[in-house]
Amino acid sequence: MDYPIWELAMGGGMLMAIVAIPHVIVSHFAIGGGLLIVVTETLAVKRDDPELRELARRSSLVLILVSTVFGAISGVGIWVVAGLISPGAISALIHTYVWGWAIEWVFFILEIVAALVYYTTWDKISKGAHLLVGWLYFIGAYLSLVIINGIVTFMLTPGRWLETNAFWDGFFNPTYWPSLLLRTGIVILMATAFMVFPALRTSAERKAGVLRYLGWWVVGGVLLSYAGYRWWEAMLPATVRNLFSGAEPALATLATTRSLTLWALTVALVVGVVILMVAPCLARSVTAVVMALAAFTFFGGYERLREGARKPFLIHSHLFSNGLLVSDIGAINEEGVLARSGWAARGADDSLTIGQHIFRTQCSSCHTLDGYQSIRRALPTYADFLNVAGGEDTGVFESECGTCHADVSESEMREMLPSPAEIVEDPELIHDLNQGMIYMAVSQLQEMGEAYRAAPSGEMINTAELHSSYMPPFVGTDEELEALVEYLVFVAQGDGVELTANGGGR
Amino acid sequence: MNPNLIPAVDPAGLPGPPWLFHVLLVFTFFLHLIFMNLTLGGTLLAVVAHLKSGGRRDDFRGVLAGRLMAINNYGISLTITTGVAPLLFIQLIYQQYFYAATILLAPVWFAMLVLLTAGYYAAYLYKFRGAPSRGSGGGLWLSVSAIMFLLIAMIHVAVNLVHAQPEMWGNLADGTWSVFSDPTFWPRLLHFIFAGLGFAALVTAWWAVRRVSEGVDVETNTAIARWAWRWALWTTVLQVIDGFLLLMVLPRPVLRGIMSGGMATLGPLTLAILVGIGLLMMLARVSNPVEKPGLVTGTLSAMTLTIAVMTITRHQIRALYLEPSTAQFSFQIVPQWGNFVLFALLLVAGLATVGYMLRRVLTSPASGADAA
Repeated sequence: MDYPIWELAMGGGMLMAIVAIPHVIVSHFAIGGGLLIVVTETLAVKRDDPELRELARRSSLVLILVSTVFGAISGVGIWVVAGLISPGAISALIHTYVWGWAIEWVFFILEIVAALVYYTTWDKISKGAHLLVGWLYFIGAYLSLVIINGIVTFMLTPGRWLETNAFWDGFFNPTYWPSLLLRTGIVILMATAFMVFPALRTSAERKAGVLRYLGWWVVGGVLLSYAGYRWWEAMLPATVRNLFSGAEPALATLATTRSLTLWALTVALVVGVVILMVAPCLARSVTAVVMALAAFTFFGGYERLREGARKPFLIHSHLFSNGLLVSDIGAINEEGVLARSGWAARGADDSLTIGQHIFRTQCSSCHTLDGYQSIRRALPTYADFLNVAGGEDTGVFESECGTCHADVSESEMREMLPSPAEIVEDPELIHDLNQGMIYMAVSQLQEMGEAYRAAPSGEMINTAELHSSYMPPFVGTDEELEALVEYLVFVAQGDGVELTANGGGR
Repeated sequence: MNPNLIPAVDPAGLPGPPWLFHVLLVFTFFLHLIFMNLTLGGTLLAVVAHLKSGGRRDDFRGVLAGRLMAINNYGISLTITTGVAPLLFIQLIYQQYFYAATILLAPVWFAMLVLLTAGYYAAYLYKFRGAPSRGSGGGLWLSVSAIMFLLIAMIHVAVNLVHAQPEMWGNLADGTWSVFSDPTFWPRLLHFIFAGLGFAALVTAWWAVRRVSEGVDVETNTAIARWAWRWALWTTVLQVIDGFLLLMVLPRPVLRGIMSGGMATLGPLTLAILVGIGLLMMLARVSNPVEKPGLVTGTLSAMTLTIAVMTITRHQIRALYLEPSTAQFSFQIVPQWGNFVLFALLLVAGLATVGYMLRRVLTSPASGADAA
């Protein structure tokens, strides 16, 4: 929380998604591609099958261009972006798992060197040596997954680490093995989907056989993915699992994602069995596209569930996504954010600017002013009040007021509000009401901090029971809270951009 | 109100003593520099060679451009791969300074990723003779690649200067100071460029001399060796001059720190200067490197040693820049020795595996039906 802030119109989360999503897809493809290509080449050599060997060879160029170039750069890119948008959070992860990443780097060296050698030595070295290089590539790539899987799963289910802070307790956390199985299935599925494209260029008499061969890989990939997924869900703490599954999931959007995820896997299985295995003559480019989309959807859905279920934490029950440690809540409430951060304090001479700096420090890792997760759109507006007071649009009440005022009906709310004529005559009425509502909301976020502090240490915190389960608590002194409210009211009035330009202090 | 712009040390603590991470940072950065020199210097040299050859592959300089970029198809990948480890370790021991500097330069720091992707793919497009090409060249892609790598070098120098000078952060944020106004910016950048050109030229000369001694394409390889040798000589001359200039424009406290640091700081610096001057003498003694293959190998080894020693000096200069700030902080140390040992063992095993694989590849040429 004490770093300068990079204000990005699109939002840091969006930038991370732009870098991380392609990286995750490419890196998994690189692992599965390595396996499929080298197994295919091994079979081709054993059976003396030049067509199968040609399939492996054709696929290897894309593997190199995509994995060693884009995969490597976007992998570094994740660190770069994380350091820019959540420096405290990535620092905490690196301080905890530096040796994990260092070990992954060793496997990465093996993977990259082998990939480059593999592609450039077709026809130049003996078949045995070439196969050795291919297998070493896959081993290096898969072992890097074995390592990074420990760090990624740790973030959602740190397990006993919360109690012991021991490296291996966090690494081999409750979802480590299910996730590894699931990702193993995914890498196979994604690589197979890709290999359908070059397989369609196989000679007419061999095409059916090659496609059936890939069909078996699809079935294997789907089964591993499904088993891994179910196991993963079973190993999640009930408080996390209930966010998106069960009779009444706490987060409806995540429950929809779960449903989509499983349907995507079904589609992949159906296409794999029906078209690739039973009727390969029906296979066209569109088959490969559907396969690829189904694989990406399953994978993307799983990642969305994992990320969504982790919110608002970066490391569950330990560190929030804005870099706030659960253990720091009390101290910051006492001292204040400005006492902690020179960057927040810099140029904060009036309460409005203090509020802006508090917003940047605590909220801007998720919210932008007008872009992704726009804070302005999330705040009540003059038009909203007018709508509810006039009773013209019932949707506004439900979407804007329902969460906080579940115990009040729309007509009761209308009675409490000034009439539309009064609002038009004296807009200050709305200003005061708005301020009161925002104050209530931020105060609730501050109170939520007490709930986090009261949670038993060393255990996963049940966020579903909290008022705003997706958000970190507000931390800071009462003066800082009031300053933030003042700033948010200012933003709701539509003046935030001007202040940003002259706000001083990054 | 907190007047200190330097963020706090990460409360998670260091998973080992600081000296260990300093050693790892310097060692892995040295590895990175070897490949970075080939990437940056090799691509710049390839542009020059390509332009001199008029894009013709029957000219020895055209062959050289193609050869340098063939090396770079590996070199760029390995530059990125070896860059991962120092990026990891710097985030551990210079976390407060590094993150703050990259955030203050966020747009350009992020742009590095875009430039790197563009530079890398442009190098591949050159390799595959992508349009728009001229003759058998594709010089446009080569130039694009070189410009991208040059810009990346500038970004790295900028981040380095900003992270080492927290006292300038406020002015940088206010827009009243720019890294371009730092007197060391251009000499530092040139120090990297000359080193890259010299090292790439020397590697090229060494390779060409080897090919000549194997009797492969003697005329072309002799011409390449002589041409590259001259580039190695003159860029080293400029490097030595620039090195002294850089030393002179360092902030006084930093310079004083080096001079009063005893053997710890003067030792590596003196050794680097002596080896650098020795390098110059070795380069100047020979006009046709093909006649002195042993000297060529010795010169390349001396340059590699110079890079290693200068990596230490560079690290010490950073520490001296940051000394007033780092004195305020102390690390909590939570050692994970077991994990370090595991890493060290796996590093040795991994490098041995890579070595074994390369040996197998070099000793298993395709023959008859067994050709892969």
